[in-house]
Amino acid sequence: MTTESIYGHCKETLSLVENIMLDRLTRLNKETKAKTGEGIYEHLNSRVKTEESMREKCARKGLPETPESALTKIHDAVGFRVITTFIDDIYTNVDYLKSFDDITVIEEKDYIRHAKPNGYRSYHMILALTLPYEDILGNNPGTFYVEIQLRTIAMDTWASLEHQMKYKHDIGSANQKLITVELKRCADELASCDVSMQTIRDLIRDSR
Amino acid sequence: MAKILLAEDEKELQKAEVTVLQMSGYEVDAVDNGMQAVEAAKTNIYDCMVIDIMMPVMDGIEALKAIRASGNVTPVILLTAKAEIDDRITGLDAGADDYLTKPFAMKELLARIRSMTRRQEAYTPTKLSIGNVTLNTEQQELSVENAIRLANKESKLMEFLMLNAEKDVSTMEILNHVWHGDPEADMDIVWIYISYLRKKLESIDANIFIDGERDQSFILTSHEV
Repeated sequence: MTTESIYGHCKETLSLVENIMLDRLTRLNKETKAKTGEGIYEHLNSRVKTEESMREKCARKGLPETPESALTKIHDAVGFRVITTFIDDIYTNVDYLKSFDDITVIEEKDYIRHAKPNGYRSYHMILALTLPYEDILGNNPGTFYVEIQLRTIAMDTWASLEHQMKYKHDIGSANQKLITVELKRCADELASCDVSMQTIRDLIRDSR
Repeated sequence: MAKILLAEDEKELQKAEVTVLQMSGYEVDAVDNGMQAVEAAKTNIYDCMVIDIMMPVMDGIEALKAIRASGNVTPVILLTAKAEIDDRITGLDAGADDYLTKPFAMKELLARIRSMTRRQEAYTPTKLSIGNVTLNTEQQELSVENAIRLANKESKLMEFLMLNAEKDVSTMEILNHVWHGDPEADMDIVWIYISYLRKKLESIDANIFIDGERDQSFILTSHEV
């Protein structure tokens, strides 16, 4: 069965967009590491959303399953997750991304200073990149969206556990409530460790 | 319901005291001598202990010393037979919080028990608020709309600063009140904990600040510096 890609003629271009962003982030990491001995992230994941889950997302949002929906209405066809050791590194990455002339920040959510009620912490950005490729609307240079989530190792660990919990329906509803409260407490304790470790790093740097 | 341990060897008096205490809403365990008091304090949890000094087998002072030596900090009211100053001093030094001279009015005993139990619960509120920040000392939680947990000493330091908001507190005062003369603690530890709290306040977008320089005095203030 051959159906047209949900990304239309931009299917290949999305991988190019992913690589451009990947190059920029790894370059900054190497440069910073050479200068200070420490990188600006611990690790980095990226992906182009699969055909299947993009179609599912269109349906969930009540959008027609077309390349226009997937690439203009939905903004996470290309996604990055940047995992850092320290909180301040998140903001270093954010400032760096904002420094590019071809990048416009479309949406920015600081769930670190303003954590979600369940304790979730992460920094979310949707970027629009202007690149010399034809986009789905036929513009060249075209506009391509990238979603970036930045968080510390501790925040990421918590998010993985919380994600697992959400899909375990066999836990009784009373336990569910208790577990939600306890997970929130863990999130706040992990946040406390993150801030303490940041403080210790600052104190060490100040005393040099 | 608050629970009281009553150690009294005079049967008639013990009966009267138990009746009055129960009528006032307390749960009472009554024992006849110091040895029994020590045993009861070991196995049960009390909100207040009323101990007569003059008792057979083991007197009240010895019993109190044994209770305190086991690490029990429950408030203790001693009952002294007569106005012997030495008795009272020995009792207070042995770890009593208050004393009452026999004969006493029951309503005075009740008032002293109320005062002792109140002190434990209501001495410091569990929630302190300044600016947009609330500290829950019970949960060691610092919150605006976002919350963060604090380590024990961070919570104690934050509480101390909040109770003395807009006042200069010196590094030495902090050491004395928060670290209680811990020989391991020095000026550096105060600076580290001030640094932790500053970052934690910042991390929840607090509108209060800790102003001050290392080893000098600090002030918790809502005025931008």
